[in-house]
Amino acid sequence: MADKSFFIDTTKCTACRGCQVACKQWNKLPATKTYNWGSFQNPADLSFSTFKLVRFREVESGGKVKWYFFPDQCRHCLEPPCKDTAEGFVDGAVIQDESTGAVIYTDKTRMLSSSNFEEVRQSCPYNIPRQDPGTGLISKCTMCFDRVGNGLLPACVKACPTGTMKFGDRGEILDMAKKRVAALQKKGFKKAQLLDADSIRAIFLVVDDPSIYYKFSVAQNDVGISRKLALRKLFRPATGLITGVAKL
Amino acid sequence: MIEVYRCFMKGGKIKPMQITRRDFMKFSGAAVGGLALGGLGFNLAPVEAQAQTLKIRWAKETTTICPYCAVGCGIIVHTSRDGSGKIINTEGDPDHPINQGSLCAKGAALYQLVTTESRIKRPLYRAPYSDKWVEMSWGQALSEIARRVKQSRDSSFTTTNAKGQVVNRTDGIAHVGSAALDNEECWALQTMMRALGLAYIEHQARI
Repeated sequence: MADKSFFIDTTKCTACRGCQVACKQWNKLPATKTYNWGSFQNPADLSFSTFKLVRFREVESGGKVKWYFFPDQCRHCLEPPCKDTAEGFVDGAVIQDESTGAVIYTDKTRMLSSSNFEEVRQSCPYNIPRQDPGTGLISKCTMCFDRVGNGLLPACVKACPTGTMKFGDRGEILDMAKKRVAALQKKGFKKAQLLDADSIRAIFLVVDDPSIYYKFSVAQNDVGISRKLALRKLFRPATGLITGVAKL
Repeated sequence: MIEVYRCFMKGGKIKPMQITRRDFMKFSGAAVGGLALGGLGFNLAPVEAQAQTLKIRWAKETTTICPYCAVGCGIIVHTSRDGSGKIINTEGDPDHPINQGSLCAKGAALYQLVTTESRIKRPLYRAPYSDKWVEMSWGQALSEIARRVKQSRDSSFTTTNAKGQVVNRTDGIAHVGSAALDNEECWALQTMMRALGLAYIEHQARI
């Protein structure tokens, strides 16, 4: 099985939220109590029981309302900073599936304290991980690795009725995405672009300034690898050695 | 060497004694590989194990049509074979010509139609001017509906209109629905309503 990737073409998204509900259904996640908070985006944010969320942004331009839809999810980074951070605390809390590249949060995330979790969350350039305050488990999108491993599409991609969500081998997905950008630019969408395509596995296509869609649509510089994390990465082999010696 | 021990201890599956020469070479090489492989200690066994036991693998598959709107998307319902017949999963039927596997938010939530606690399992009756719903048996509900239909029809039936033309209709009853009906059900309903003399026959999609 080759390295996998998503292609999320926001120009086709109608914000029906089929993906959002299909994700809940497959993962048997409980519903979140929603309320009218001034936006159609509901629930208001991702949570430990909401891995996929269609973000809504409405902008007025020329007296008309313009919708920006962004079906947010974990990007499954090629080199996930959250994994590095989490490993600094508990080995095996976050693992990466070698065949698909899926970044998976294991049961061991329960062993992370809430301040540890804050660091994990802050190290994510896309603000994805969420912690269950009850159990301490940290969770997010799993890339439906159980489905993918058995030749099925992830639940969100399978459900998408408009063709916004695509999933497949990374090479093919990148080709498809680049072709779509070229086609859109030809049609006059000058700002058509892929977001961080070279470093992540959930590649979004947008046709306007990415920050209009959502603050974390592209990797944020103020998060990512902090000085603290860089230091810990530097020292980790040493601590590994010490525990190794201790066990010997 | 220490790095090798560390990863096997953490992995917990293989004991240090079982390291073959080939494994040793492999892991030593990886350890030298440096920081990028700092996570060598993880054990992919659980991931692989879960990937092999897909929860719908042995489930019984039954096809159905989404009951919500007039599009009529095809859905596969996965139920357990262990006798309980519990629904494990519902998802779009890729072989269905209408939706080809896709579903909207409502269709994707079909699972809850059965499992939700808010599901109404018995007929509920609210008497005129009452603010409470009362549970009622199907037999009671159906007889009550039949009795009232007969009563309303008999009292509101008109054979001729103001101009003396024969109309044979009732204006006392209206029928509403449904987008979720198939052709055959629509035919049966329409026939019955027309036979009763209804003129107000509506469809929820236009309300």
